[in-house]
Amino acid sequence: MREKLMEILTETCPGVDFETETALIDDGLLESLDIVTIVAEIMDAFEVELNVEDLVPENFNSVDAMLELIQSLAE
Amino acid sequence: MSFTSVGFIGFLAAVVVLYYALPKKCQWVFLLAASYGFYMAGGVKTVVYLLFTTLSTFVAGLWLGRLNARKDALTGPEKKAQAPVFKRKKQMVTALVLIANFGLLFALKYWNFTASAVSGATGGSVILPQLNLLMPLGISFYMFQSVGYVVDCYRGKYKPQRNVFKYALFTSFFPQVVQGPISRYDQLSPQLMAEHSFHADHLKYGIQLCMWGYFKKLVIADRAAVLVNTVFGDYTSYSGSIIALAVFFYCIQLYCDFSGGIDVTRGAAQMLGIDLAENFRRPLFATSLADYWRRWHITLGQWMRDYVFFSLTLSKPILKLGKWSRKKIGGTLGKVIPTATATFVVYLFIGIWHGANFRYIFYGLWNGAIITSSQLLANTYYRCRMKLKLADDNRGLYVFRMVRTWILVFLGRYITRAPRLMAAFYMMWVTVSRPVLSDLWNGTALTLGIARMDYVIVLGAMAIVVAAEFFQERGTEIRKWLEQRGFLVQWLAILLPLLVLLVTGILRGDYISSEFIYKQF
Amino acid sequence: MKEKHRMTSGQWLVAFVLTVVLLGLSVLGFNYITDPFGAFGDRFFQWWSYDETMNPRVAKIEYLEQNHELYDSYIIGCSSTSSWPVEGFNEYFDARFYNMIMYGADMLDVELMSKYLIEHYEVKNLVVNIYINNAEEYNTESDPLTYNLNYKVDGTSRWDFYKKYLFLNPRYGLEKLKKYRNDSYLQAAHDVFDEATGAYDKSRRDVENISDLETYFTKAEYKAFVDYPQRTGHINNLEPCMESMRAIKEVCEENGVNLMVVCPPVYYKNLEYYTQEQVAAFNRALAEVTDYWDFTMSSVSFEPRYFYDKTHFRNCVGDMAVAKISGDDSVYVPGDFGHFVTADNVDQVLETYWEAEPLAEDELTAKVPILMYHHLAETGDGGDIISVEDFESHMATLTRAGYTAVDFDDLKSYVEQGVELPEKPVVITFDDGYESNLTLAYPILKRYGMKATVFAIGVSIGKDTYKDTGESMIPHFSLEEAALCADAITVGSHGYNIHEVAGRDPEPIRQGVLQKESETEEEYIQFLRNDCEAMDALFEEALGRTPQVLAYPFGWHTTLSDLILKEEGIWATVTSDVKINIIIKGIPQSLYAMGRLAVRGSYTADQVLEMLKTGQRPQ
Repeated sequence: MREKLMEILTETCPGVDFETETALIDDGLLESLDIVTIVAEIMDAFEVELNVEDLVPENFNSVDAMLELIQSLAE
Repeated sequence: MSFTSVGFIGFLAAVVVLYYALPKKCQWVFLLAASYGFYMAGGVKTVVYLLFTTLSTFVAGLWLGRLNARKDALTGPEKKAQAPVFKRKKQMVTALVLIANFGLLFALKYWNFTASAVSGATGGSVILPQLNLLMPLGISFYMFQSVGYVVDCYRGKYKPQRNVFKYALFTSFFPQVVQGPISRYDQLSPQLMAEHSFHADHLKYGIQLCMWGYFKKLVIADRAAVLVNTVFGDYTSYSGSIIALAVFFYCIQLYCDFSGGIDVTRGAAQMLGIDLAENFRRPLFATSLADYWRRWHITLGQWMRDYVFFSLTLSKPILKLGKWSRKKIGGTLGKVIPTATATFVVYLFIGIWHGANFRYIFYGLWNGAIITSSQLLANTYYRCRMKLKLADDNRGLYVFRMVRTWILVFLGRYITRAPRLMAAFYMMWVTVSRPVLSDLWNGTALTLGIARMDYVIVLGAMAIVVAAEFFQERGTEIRKWLEQRGFLVQWLAILLPLLVLLVTGILRGDYISSEFIYKQF
Repeated sequence: MKEKHRMTSGQWLVAFVLTVVLLGLSVLGFNYITDPFGAFGDRFFQWWSYDETMNPRVAKIEYLEQNHELYDSYIIGCSSTSSWPVEGFNEYFDARFYNMIMYGADMLDVELMSKYLIEHYEVKNLVVNIYINNAEEYNTESDPLTYNLNYKVDGTSRWDFYKKYLFLNPRYGLEKLKKYRNDSYLQAAHDVFDEATGAYDKSRRDVENISDLETYFTKAEYKAFVDYPQRTGHINNLEPCMESMRAIKEVCEENGVNLMVVCPPVYYKNLEYYTQEQVAAFNRALAEVTDYWDFTMSSVSFEPRYFYDKTHFRNCVGDMAVAKISGDDSVYVPGDFGHFVTADNVDQVLETYWEAEPLAEDELTAKVPILMYHHLAETGDGGDIISVEDFESHMATLTRAGYTAVDFDDLKSYVEQGVELPEKPVVITFDDGYESNLTLAYPILKRYGMKATVFAIGVSIGKDTYKDTGESMIPHFSLEEAALCADAITVGSHGYNIHEVAGRDPEPIRQGVLQKESETEEEYIQFLRNDCEAMDALFEEALGRTPQVLAYPFGWHTTLSDLILKEEGIWATVTSDVKINIIIKGIPQSLYAMGRLAVRGSYTADQVLEMLKTGQRPQ
C-alpha cells in the first residue's frame, strides 16, 4: 500500500521529499490543488470514499497520516 | 456609519472604553448590542435580513448538530446502515437553509440583473418585473460567513452554538460586517466569548493598524478616486495613455480602499483583543494569478476553497469526470481536468460574488480561464523552465512572474471598473491603438480632477506603502522593529502619521476661498 | 551599551492620546487666533474688512461689540444698502451713522438685526433699505459659515456657533494669513468692506473714468446691461416681508428711534422682472405699514452709468438721493428723482413709475474736448513748441467756430450741480508751466475772452535750471507771477517731482507717476502723499488754494495713483489718451482720467477744428 501511495504522491508532486516531511500542509508543500488530485487518485486506487470532512491538515501532513486515513476508511 | 466619519471614530472609542470598563462577563453582550446598534445606524429596516439569516442558520446548525449526535450515538453495523438516512436528512436541512438564504441574496442582489438579461435575451417578449429592494449592509459577507457555519455543522466540524445571542454576535460583529473578512466560527467565536482584560499592547497595535488603514484610505484611495471617476465617467473623451493612467490609479485606489478598510476593521477588533483573519497579504508580490488570489481577499478565496472547491472535487459528477479523463485522455492532462473544471467554476462564482453584472461574470471567466489554463499547461511550463535551466527560485524568474501577474491583474481592472463590459473592451482597444503618450506630460493629466500636489501625495504615499510591504515580504515585522527604536523615533511615528492625516484631510475638506465669497462685487 | 529609553505600550497610548489632543488643540487655537470670520472678535489681527467679507453678519456684530460707541445711528438692508452715504446722513441727521449692509439679507435678517442693534446699542436713527426684491425670498436657508447670523442676533445656540468656528477647516485661517502678508492698500476681492463706515469699499470703483456708453459697455462689469438677463420675479413672500417691516417700526416706536424707510433706485430692466400689479401691490403694502422715500423709478433708472452693476446703484447716486431727502439745492438731482410716499399718494407715485423716461443724451451729458499745449515761442518747432502766431490763429478760429473756453471748475459745477455749460465747450491746457504761457499765451487768451489751465511741475516752478543739475532749461513761471494772471489762467498740478526725464535724472527713473520696481507699495504711497503735500504747501502760500486738478506726466496712471490723489484732494485728472470726453451730471467719476487732444506746433487751425470734431489726430 505504501508503495502505491508513494507512486501517486511523487507523480503528482515531483520534487517533494515525501519520505521525511511531516508538515506537508502546514508548510505549504502541498496545495489544495495537489490535495484534491491526490485524493481522487487515492479513492480510485484504494477504492475508499473520502469526504470533505476528511480534508484536514492532520490527515495529510505526512505519508503516515495519509496511510492511517486510508486504513480507517477501508474498514 | 462610514469608517472615515468622525461618528465612527467616536463610536469606536466609546465601545473600547466601555468594553474594558464593564465586567468581563458582560463583554460579549455589550459587543452584541454595539454591533446591532452599529448595523441599525445604517437603516433600521434592513436589520430584518440580518436577523433572518442569523436565525435560519442558527436553527439549521442546531438541527444538524442533533442529527450528528444521534448518528454518533449509534455503533458499528447500525451506524453503517443508518448512515445514508442521516446523510439524506442532513442534506435536506442544509439544502433548505442554503436555498432560503441564497434565494434571498439572489432576490436582493441579482434579480434585477437577471430580469433585464432575460428580457434582453428574449427580445422583450418576456418581461419580468424589477424589484426595488434596498440591499442590506454587508449581506455578501455575513451570509457567506453564516453559510460556512452551517456547512461546518453539516460536516460535524464542531458542535453548534446553543445560545442564539452568542451566535448572533458571530454574524453581526460590527468591525467586519461591512466588508469582511469572512471569518470561521471556530476561529472567531471563542475569541468573542472569551473574557478580555485590558492590554496596552492590544490597544496600541490596534490603533497603529487603524492609522495605517486610514492613511491608505484617506490619503491615497480617496484622492486617486477623483481621477478614476473623472476618466471612467467620460471615457470616450480620453486617449489611451490617460485611460491606462486611470486604470493604474484604480488599482491603487481599490487596493488602498479595500485593504485600508480591512486594516481599520482588524485594528478595531484588535483593540478589543480579537484577532480577525488576514484578508490581504501583499498582493503586489504575487507570482501568478493563482498566487494573487491567495493574497487578495484571502478569506473569500479560502471560503470558496473549503466550501465550493473541495465539495465540487469530491462530488460524484466530478469524480466521474476524473475517472473518464484519466482513462480516455490520460497522462498529466487527464489528471488535471477534473480539478481544472472545479477551479473554473470557483472563479466564475468569485466573479459573480462581486456583483450582478455581465462584466463581473466575464471577470470570473477571465480569471478562471487563465488559472485553469496554467494548471493544464503546468507541465509545459515546467519543461520550458528546465530547457532554460532556470531554478525555481531564480531572481529573474521571480521578477518575470511578478510583472506577468501585474499585467494580468491590470487588464482585469479594466473589466471591473468600466461602466459596461463593452466599454471595458473599448477602453482596452483605445489604450493600445491610440495611446498618445504625450498626454501624460502635456498638461492633460492636470485636468482630471486632481492637482499636481495630489499626484505627488498619491504616488509618494503609495511608495511608502510599497516600501513597507517590501520589508514585510522579506519577513521584517515593522511594528516590532518600531518598538526597538528610541523614544523620539516612536513619538515621531505617532506624530507624523497624525499630521499627515490632518493635513491631507484638511486639504480635502469643504472650503470656499475668500476670493469667491462675494462674487457679484 | 547605552540603554535607549523605549516606550512601553502604556506610555505609547498616553503619548498617542496626548498627541491627538495636542493636534486638536492647535487646530482650535489656530482657528481662534486667525479668526477668519471674526466670530471671536478677531483679537489678534483686527482685520475687520477681511472678516466682514467672509461673513458680514457675524463679523460686523463683533466689530460693533468693540466699537459701537463711535456710532449712534444705523443704515440697514441688503446689498444695495451700501451706496446710501454715511456722510450724507450724518450731516442731515447730525448723527454718526454705521452702514449695516449685509449682502443677500432678507427682511427677517434685517428685522432680527435691527432689534439687536436697538436693544444693545445707542440708536437714534435707523434707516431701513427695502425694495420689491425683498418680497421674493424670506428666511432662506443660509450657508452656515458665510451667511448665517451671529448667534447673539438670532438667538441660536452659542455652543453650536463657537463649535462651528473653532472646528473650522484651518485653510480659512491659512488663507487669511497669506492675504494679510500681501495685502494691498487697494481694495481686493477679500476685503470688500470699509471698516469704519461698514459700507462696501468702493474706492477702486469710484476712481474709474466713466465716459461714453460705448466704452462703458466694453468693461466686463457692465456687459450685463447690453444683454440683461431675463427672469420672472414674484412677490410670494410679501406678507412676511411686511410683517418684519411692521415689527421693525414697532420696536423703533417703543424705543424712541427715528425710523426712515428708503427704496433704492432700481435699473428699469430689473424692475421689469415684476408685473405692474406686483409692483403696485408691493408699494401699497409698504405704504400701509410706513411712510417711505421712494427712489425706485425715475430717469436715473434708465442710465446704466448710474449703476455699479445690474442691481446696485452708485455711491454718487446715493449722494443725489440724500440731497433730495435733505432738500439740498446745491447738489444736482434729476427732477423726477425721489418721492416721499405716504398711504395717500402711493397711487400717484406709482403713475410716475410708468411715466418715467430717460433723459436725452444732451440733457444728461456734455461733450468736452481738452486741448494740450506746452510752450510758446517766436518760432515753433512743429512739436511741443508752437509759434505765437499759430497759437493766435488757433484761438481765433475756435472763437469763430463758436467754441467757448471753460475751465475745470466749470466742469465741476456741471457734474455736481448741473450748471449748464456753453453749447460748444473746450478746455485749453498747457503742460509743465513754462514762462511763455504767461508772457505769450495769456495776452492772447484775454483778447479772445478765453481761459486756460496750466499744469506746473513743482520742482521747476520759477526756475530756469533743471533741479540741482545746473543744466539750463526753458524758464518756468513762478506762482506769484501766475497769481497775477488768475483772471484767465488757473494753475493745476503736474506733480511736484514726478516728472523725471531720462538723461537728466539718475537711473532708474520713475516712469511718469508709476511705482518704481524697487519701491514697496507703502513707500510708493508715501512718495505720492509727500509729493502732494509739497505741492499743496507751494500753492497755498502763493495762490491761497491747493491744486484741484492734476495732469499725469506722459499720461500714465494706475488705480492706486488715482486713489491716493483723490484722497489728497484732486477731483479731476487728465491723461494723454486721445479722445473727447463725455461728462455726466451727477457722476464725479467722469472727471477722472479724462483724455486730451495734443496740439503739435505744426497743426493748422483747421486741423485743430477737425480734431475737435472727430476726436482723432490729424493725418
